[in-house]
Amino acid sequence: MESLLVNSVEKNLTQFMFSNAIFLCERLLADFPSEVNLQLLARCYLSNGQPYSAYYILKGSKTPQSRYLFALSCFKLDLLGEAEAALLSTVEQQVIPGGAAGHYLLGLIYRYAGRKNSSVEQFRIALSCDPLCWEAYAQLCSLGVAEEASTVFGNVAAQRLQKTHVPQRINFSEGETKDQLIDSDKASKDISVWQTEHVPGENQQDLKVKQLGAEIPPDTDNQRNASSHTNGWDLNTPSPVLPQVLDVPPPMLYKNMRRPEVEGLMSVHGEPRKKFVCEEESSEAPEESRRRRSARIAAKRKIPMFHHSPSESNGVPSLSSMIGKCRIQSSKEATTSGQSINDTGSSVDDEQNSNPRGSSLDPFSLMSGISEMLNLLKILGDGHRSLHMYNCQEALLIYQKLSEKQYNTHWVLMQVGKAYVELQDYFSADSVFTLAHQKYPYALEGMDTYSTVLYHLKEEMRLGYLAQELIAIDRLSPESCANGRCASGNYYSLRKDHEAALKMFRRAIQLNERFTYAHTLCGHELAALEDFEDAERCYRKALSIDTRHYNAWYGLGMTYIHQEKFEFAQHQFQLALQINPRSSVIMCYFGIALHESKRNDEALKMMEKAIVADARNPISKYFKANILANLGDYHKALKVLEELKDSAPQESSVHALLGKIYKQVKLYDKAVLNFGIALDLNPSTSDAVKIKACMERLIVPDELETEEDL
Amino acid sequence: MATESSESEEEGKISGGNEKLILDDDLREMGKNAAWSVSSCKPGNGVNTLRDDNLETYWQSDGLQPHLINIQFQKKVRLQLVALYVDFKLDESYTPSKISVRAGDGFHNLKEVKSVELVKPSGWVSVSLSGTDPRETFVNTFMLQIAMLSNHLNGRDTHIRQIKVYGPRPNPIPRQPFQFTSTEFLAYSTLR
Repeated sequence: MESLLVNSVEKNLTQFMFSNAIFLCERLLADFPSEVNLQLLARCYLSNGQPYSAYYILKGSKTPQSRYLFALSCFKLDLLGEAEAALLSTVEQQVIPGGAAGHYLLGLIYRYAGRKNSSVEQFRIALSCDPLCWEAYAQLCSLGVAEEASTVFGNVAAQRLQKTHVPQRINFSEGETKDQLIDSDKASKDISVWQTEHVPGENQQDLKVKQLGAEIPPDTDNQRNASSHTNGWDLNTPSPVLPQVLDVPPPMLYKNMRRPEVEGLMSVHGEPRKKFVCEEESSEAPEESRRRRSARIAAKRKIPMFHHSPSESNGVPSLSSMIGKCRIQSSKEATTSGQSINDTGSSVDDEQNSNPRGSSLDPFSLMSGISEMLNLLKILGDGHRSLHMYNCQEALLIYQKLSEKQYNTHWVLMQVGKAYVELQDYFSADSVFTLAHQKYPYALEGMDTYSTVLYHLKEEMRLGYLAQELIAIDRLSPESCANGRCASGNYYSLRKDHEAALKMFRRAIQLNERFTYAHTLCGHELAALEDFEDAERCYRKALSIDTRHYNAWYGLGMTYIHQEKFEFAQHQFQLALQINPRSSVIMCYFGIALHESKRNDEALKMMEKAIVADARNPISKYFKANILANLGDYHKALKVLEELKDSAPQESSVHALLGKIYKQVKLYDKAVLNFGIALDLNPSTSDAVKIKACMERLIVPDELETEEDL
Repeated sequence: MATESSESEEEGKISGGNEKLILDDDLREMGKNAAWSVSSCKPGNGVNTLRDDNLETYWQSDGLQPHLINIQFQKKVRLQLVALYVDFKLDESYTPSKISVRAGDGFHNLKEVKSVELVKPSGWVSVSLSGTDPRETFVNTFMLQIAMLSNHLNGRDTHIRQIKVYGPRPNPIPRQPFQFTSTEFLAYSTLR
């Protein structure tokens, strides 16, 4: 009945019938309580969105797979400490359960806890374990420490993928399954038993065991074979024959392959978490951890590796058997592992069996697929990295290299849109986002940026419509609602209803605590309401989540300028510039802060930088003219403004400032002319008052003169 | 600038009122930074009702005329408009009729800025504080006092359901002499 139930549950899970799966799993667990079944139930709960249930049932489990699932549940419940503890074993120096996924999870935990360096390390390991773990790379990009995509997704990665995915099973006996089971059985046997086995693959096991320092006199035969196999792992390996892989998931092998490199780092008691000790895919059995450990141990001795032929990679023999045998520790564990090994056998069996389904049986087409994939990832990685370094022009060029089909995917379009936004090219961004939204109306990623674009373009109606759409998509999902609230917040903000906007952004934060942008937008609204203290708090909260969110630094700088704390403001803008060195807007305000602190030379230099950084930004020229006028350098100021006037004839403030300066240099006619134009261009009420006041005072001296003349 | 309340031929008379308060974009409600007080009130109908955004609740005075609403700011502010919600149909003899708006530094030097007479108002009534001169668009003051000098039908006490006070928006760009008007400038002027 057990296997029937297990199969049914698995089937239900694949078909998303979660309640049924949970029900069946409970029956299973009642009659056949075991670690593996417990894990299955946990998986059911997690799939059904019940991390708390998974948390409770897995509490205290020790097996790696359970620990991984437990850590995942803790993470979803925001219990970071427990999650971390689960992933790191304190009892034995075991490697992280779950492989690349485990490292990625640990990296996330560290990142949420604010431990940047540890998280970076974990992400790097995850990526080296599984180059297709794109999220790890994305996290590294957002932390600002990503390496070049060509290194990350290069040859090394190719090899890893080959080892991982190219099926490498040569069955020396009848059936694979049988092999696995046989090996499993062997594994469960006592250590002494292994001596009797002479399946070719076993030799490697022997080798490993030997290397483990087990007191097992190696067979001369074995030794010879072992060495030949060892040689087989050399670079000059002759045959492309796929050596037998006995129920070992490929990742293991690659790991072994990696070992020699890190020989120095590895030791039996070595830090299992150092690079290259990566467990790739999360395997389903407690076996894995033991395998890994012994594999690690094995790697202590020189196992030459790094051959380039895909076939070689899986020269590692049945690690399970090896591990089972090499379990010098507890033979009693071996018995418990016996059952799990069987399960492992079956699950791995499934895995192996599904491999042929998933990948073509031909290793060469697989290799070309791998290289294709990596090329794609290289481009995407490069683009993503450039975008996060705010090297937007380059990012755009890189993304152009993609095929049209890949380019028109939502993710890429969002990246392109974001690049335009960072370049302040809101029109292009608008067209990209609109296209993406039309094609993928269900996709919510990046819609908050889209709403910002519409905000900048003052498109009230479209913004309101977008907000409605987003909220309508799924009122419950935090992702959609948070984005929808952001869009509505931007809408209210555009209509100057800052209170309502603030409410919306706060709601977005409620839905998703770690939504950095929502915090920043909250800060903006509070600043607009002149509540600078609360605004500061919001910005700092945003920065605590993501230090590289330069908008928040900018926001902080602006609040300080409003509060006339110009020194502080300078500091914030400097930090913002460090993150995004090409933003002309930040440079402009930095210049203002400098000017107000009387560091005028630097201020002017900063304005020059801003003008150079983005020639289309009229603000930098305007600010520069203003500073020059304040310093008394009227002629230069006039020059700048005259140029500006030609490029932006509809801007009232330009004319107003021109008028003001002309008045200073006593060119009253021109002053009056410009004031008149300024008034025609619909300034705000207070400005209109100012301008009229200036005009009045201009006319009076003339009148006085004429009166005197008369 | 103000609402579309109809002005009769005589200066200072306002009749009618609006359901909704319609304002210019560049006005901003200033009442949050102010201390509000009234000359007298009936228990349960105190000063809070003036600022609770609820048109069902009202302030009811309880003393001699003129009834006063005092709005005091911590620093000098520029004010442009006062909006009151009064309804003759609901309040009849409690509806104010003659209103005088005064401004000054404190209770000792208030001077009248505007005087209006309401004729059966129902809804939002906007009282602009601007003078004829463009230089007098704003009233720059520490304190504003709204005095109800008389009511309709010679009622003794008065009902006011809501009050809002408006001034110009400050320049969102700090330390600049003028505000930006064109979309292009505005788009570049902030990061969001």
